[in-house]
Amino acid sequence: MKVRSLASIAALGLASIGGAAAQTTLNVVSAGDQNMVDYVNNYLGPKFEQMNPGVKVRAVGTGPGDSGSQKIYEKLEAQQKAGAAKWDVDVAVVHQRGAATMVENNLLMKYRDQVKAGKLVSRDTAKNALGANVDGYVLPMFHSQIAFAYNPDLVKTPPKSFKELEEWVKKNPKQFGYNGVKGGMSGVGFVMGWVEASDPGMRNTFEKGPYDPKMKATIDKSLEGLKTFNQYVVMTPGNAGTLDMLNRGEIAMGPVWVDMFYTWMADGKMNPKVKLELPAPGLPGQPMYYVIPAKAEHADLAKKFIDFAESPEVQADGIVKQFNWYPGIDPQYVESKMPKAEWNKLFTDITPTDLASKGRPFPLSQYFTDIVEGYERVVLK
Amino acid sequence: MAFIRSEGPPRGADSAPAGGSAAAERRAWGDQIPSEGPPRGADCAPAGGSAAAERRAWGDHIRSDRRLAAFALVLPALLVVGVFFVAPLVLSAVGAFRDADGAFTLAHFAKSLDLYTRDLIFTIGIVVLSTVLIAIVAIAIAGYLTLGEHPRAVAVLRWLYRWPLFIPFVVAGQIMRTFLAKNGMLNHVLIGTGLIEPISAQSMLDWRGIVIAFVWKQAPFVTLLLAGAMAALERQHIEAARNLGAPRWRVLIDIVLPQVRGTLLVGLVLSFVAMLSVLSVPLMINPNSPTMITVDVAYRINTFADYAVANALCLLSLLLAAFGAAFYLRHAVRKVENA
Repeated sequence: MKVRSLASIAALGLASIGGAAAQTTLNVVSAGDQNMVDYVNNYLGPKFEQMNPGVKVRAVGTGPGDSGSQKIYEKLEAQQKAGAAKWDVDVAVVHQRGAATMVENNLLMKYRDQVKAGKLVSRDTAKNALGANVDGYVLPMFHSQIAFAYNPDLVKTPPKSFKELEEWVKKNPKQFGYNGVKGGMSGVGFVMGWVEASDPGMRNTFEKGPYDPKMKATIDKSLEGLKTFNQYVVMTPGNAGTLDMLNRGEIAMGPVWVDMFYTWMADGKMNPKVKLELPAPGLPGQPMYYVIPAKAEHADLAKKFIDFAESPEVQADGIVKQFNWYPGIDPQYVESKMPKAEWNKLFTDITPTDLASKGRPFPLSQYFTDIVEGYERVVLK
Repeated sequence: MAFIRSEGPPRGADSAPAGGSAAAERRAWGDQIPSEGPPRGADCAPAGGSAAAERRAWGDHIRSDRRLAAFALVLPALLVVGVFFVAPLVLSAVGAFRDADGAFTLAHFAKSLDLYTRDLIFTIGIVVLSTVLIAIVAIAIAGYLTLGEHPRAVAVLRWLYRWPLFIPFVVAGQIMRTFLAKNGMLNHVLIGTGLIEPISAQSMLDWRGIVIAFVWKQAPFVTLLLAGAMAALERQHIEAARNLGAPRWRVLIDIVLPQVRGTLLVGLVLSFVAMLSVLSVPLMINPNSPTMITVDVAYRINTFADYAVANALCLLSLLLAAFGAAFYLRHAVRKVENA
């Protein structure tokens, strides 16, 4: 028995050495939280390797938030400046701001029309990333959305809008918590939502442009209201910090990422009573993009990989069912590929109609910068 | 191969008895200190004869060889320090004064001070308060380890206090995050034992959390140094004072502490500088305003890709660390002078 298992281990070892010689490694570099890397390493990679013998998918994470995309940008830019003929990133998964900067600096390959799944995308985000034209360079991997999570035991009728929330926190001080602008994107998204809510006319300009530096005054004025608001709320340590505090009953309500919320729920880490709600006029959400660097070493394999990742089957089983993200391609292709109950789970608290009307894109990058810097200047000082 | 003994040799040579042996000794040192050696060695060498000249040439040859060898030996270390430490530091300092076109500007400092003065003050406050608390905790523990009269208690304490030494800052941050939360373990224990009412439980995940994490993590380090220094003291003074009836706290403060002041200072300065540079703890416990300067540096880079202001902030915290360095150097110099 022992001898046999030793022999089989040796055989395995030999096989892997033999295999390694003929193997191509597809380097996937992903910004975002650890679940993104897990998705490629544990789910997408093994499936793709099975379909393509001799291919090894290696995923590396660069960290959450825009900083993760920033690191990928810096790496590609360095290879571009060094004049490297082949870059060692085949597929990158980046945020909107990162994609916009990379397209602007000619770091990406226009590939959407060369993959079949390119025709399955329908949302505006496939062409427009925070005001930058990224048409053809990106395919959304998934969409995610920020929403309020609340504990219905403590909050019977949650505020339906930012206006109502402002009143609500005064009646229930220290029951609403968010993570500011330095502790993750759910807090940043809340601040964006706040500023956009203060003036309905502003919203269109924020999302579509053109950029006007004079808007800073209007932004600052809206942030002054947030300074008062902050006296009645709790600051939480990070995206996960908000969920933690909700779980421990330290706050009754706060903005969270919907996918993170559902994943925690599925893992049993979340109080199952907690519910979601999308307030009027809306909170931002964002896609993550699959992109291919302009001089990727295995560009053809990369296209094949993305085509596979964007197929309705993978989007249904991997993106929606296992990782609780909203699909990156048009939902109509995905819905038919999975049981009704599974699909509906994603829309229990937030209906597709809510999502269509109140799920907003983040503002243009310049406005984004003005708002977060304004927050530091007006709210924090 | 003691090439870099700057203090010892001349003094040793001076105090050596006069005569042959002194010359020999001096010559021996001379060989090892190339810069000082040659003239002295040459003076002492017996005069006349080609043999002497040959010997001298041979000596020079060896000396230049040794000088090269010495240089070659320190070169890798110098390169590492230069390329990975000094160069980035200089680049970062230069970046703090450069605008987008490469011209000199103070705008980044103006912006840093405009947005982050509160955080700078907060950082100083946190680090100074932590340093003071660390000193108190370290003196108390090291003092008990040295003067404690209950062997079992001393043994248990000696075993226990080192644990946090092996725990990284990021883990300390994570531990505190669940320990100090409003409904965290600390408050549960306090409520369970009836020490506080549930309604008065509050979250300590603010400046207090950072200070607690820092003291918890750094006090054992200072204690380790301090207890070592205390153990090396002559026990006669302590015993004499005890015999004359001094209580243990008097012995600690009047007899033991003055003798280990230097070690305490060094430990505190090292802790001070280490705490200035910790990102994980403030990021996990209190990333909101006011927060520590490290969080702001990360934020400028991560959110705005703004290395210029981040560099300016780094230089400002370097300035803070320089206070620590000044203390350290002054003490190091005094120690050498006293030696």
